[in-house]
Amino acid sequence: MRIREDFYLNFIKDDRYMYLLSGLVNTLLITIVAVVVGILLGFLLAYVRTTHDKTGKWKIANAFCQLYITVIRGTPMVLQLLIVYFVIFASVNVPKIIVAFIAFGLNSAAYVAEIIRAGIMSIDKGQSEAGASLGFSYTQTMLYFILPQAIKNVLPALGNEMIVLLKETSVAGYIAMNDLTRGADIIRSQTYSAFMPLLMAAAIYLFFVMIFDSLVKKLERNLKNSDH
Amino acid sequence: MTTEQRKPLIEVKHLCKSFKDAQGNMEEVLEDISVDFYEGDVAFIVGPSGAGKSTFLRCLNRLEDATGGQIFFEGVNILDNKVDIDRHRQKMGMVFQQFNLFPHLCVMDNLTIGPVKLQGLTKDQAEERAMKLLERVKLADRARSYPNQLSGGQKQRIAIARSLCMEPDVMLFDEPTSALDPEMVGEVLEVMRELANDKMTMIVVTHEMAFAREVANRILFMADRQILEENDPVNFFENPKNERLKAFLDKMI
Ligand SMILES: Nc1ncnc2c1ncn2[C@@H]1O[C@H](COP(=O)(O)OP(=O)(O)OP(=O)(O)O)[C@@H](O)[C@H]1O
Ligand SMILES: [Mg+2]
Repeated sequence: MRIREDFYLNFIKDDRYMYLLSGLVNTLLITIVAVVVGILLGFLLAYVRTTHDKTGKWKIANAFCQLYITVIRGTPMVLQLLIVYFVIFASVNVPKIIVAFIAFGLNSAAYVAEIIRAGIMSIDKGQSEAGASLGFSYTQTMLYFILPQAIKNVLPALGNEMIVLLKETSVAGYIAMNDLTRGADIIRSQTYSAFMPLLMAAAIYLFFVMIFDSLVKKLERNLKNSDH
Repeated sequence: MTTEQRKPLIEVKHLCKSFKDAQGNMEEVLEDISVDFYEGDVAFIVGPSGAGKSTFLRCLNRLEDATGGQIFFEGVNILDNKVDIDRHRQKMGMVFQQFNLFPHLCVMDNLTIGPVKLQGLTKDQAEERAMKLLERVKLADRARSYPNQLSGGQKQRIAIARSLCMEPDVMLFDEPTSALDPEMVGEVLEVMRELANDKMTMIVVTHEMAFAREVANRILFMADRQILEENDPVNFFENPKNERLKAFLDKMI
């Protein structure tokens, strides 16, 4: 049978499935680390931006954050990855996976920042006034009252950002990073058969996207049902 | 005892407030207001819509930044930028028209988060204090409820209890019953009435004229960016002098 032979050739022979498996591990690793970096940095960006919008303080920091967000969102991910690898880390020897963590994390931060900022802005002004009137400082009010509500509101959007990021990492091959997509491509170049490895990679992405997606949907449902 | 012999709790001197309008022009909302409030005062502020009543009240705890003048609270000019306003706000409770309870916290936590985070009480101490207040507003059984499980009247009673839980020296109310269905107004006024009987210093903006007359020891009439008249409740309603006030009372009654 053609399909059985194809399958054997592409995945079993010479342990070729290992390209996909180790690629998948890298893809997931990059996604998770980048999401964490993105959320931490995105928080910081959003905090500076909203503090400026609400109080008028931090003009220079805000301008910098705004510039950062505009540039990241206005240029292709691949280009950002190449710049981090070939320009910023040109003369230093850093493992490629670290480069990928940084590049995808920096990219994700810009999107996360806008998501969280929208979340903060969606909270009624009365909440910060109530906090302030009790004697809470701006930072405390943010921490105890605004952020908990804002984050709850944007959790689904953050989940979607993670799904987008998972697929975005497929360009990691541009810096010869062995991710899932590149793993499939390596098999293709060895076996000269494209169908099996590429479709398998696609199916694996789809599988994880659907898992993430159902988690996000479940989260959304839980949030909607919860009373508070 | 006349009010003049006591030391004012809040002294407002030449308070001015302007807002920038859409064209960027400064529009004056409060014009050179001077007034004193004393410990134990139950001062009601009434007046037509847009008079600046809310703005005045919100200047008292600096939710709005005044454009001029001074406000001495317990002897300190709190409009001074060097003043730690957060510390003084702990002593000035505020109740909002829209309640502004924290929806992600249960009733008990709404009350205790201030005392725990700002006054260093332990959770147990704070909950004990909160429980007494919940009993006072007759909502002890709702301690573990969340705000959106409560009616409007219940929310406002919790909001009052939340402010009281900081043990403030003065309570500011901005139209506390205006957002309520008519059948829930009474229960909130009842709580405020008891508060006044317990000698809490209160400054109340309201449209509830009958309640003002019943509870206040002084009523201030605000219109045209100023306090145009002030009197004790009886004379305020029986012998109004200012023409604007006469017209206002005619319309209200
Ligand atoms: N944040 C703001 N920016 C610009 N103008 C404002 C702002 N807040 C209030 N004003 C204006 O200041 C004036 C006084 O408003 P304020 O809310 O203090 O009136 P009020 O006496 O409380 O009226 P109401 O009885 O309707 O609550 C109004 O003309 C209003 O449009
Ligand atoms: Mg008002």
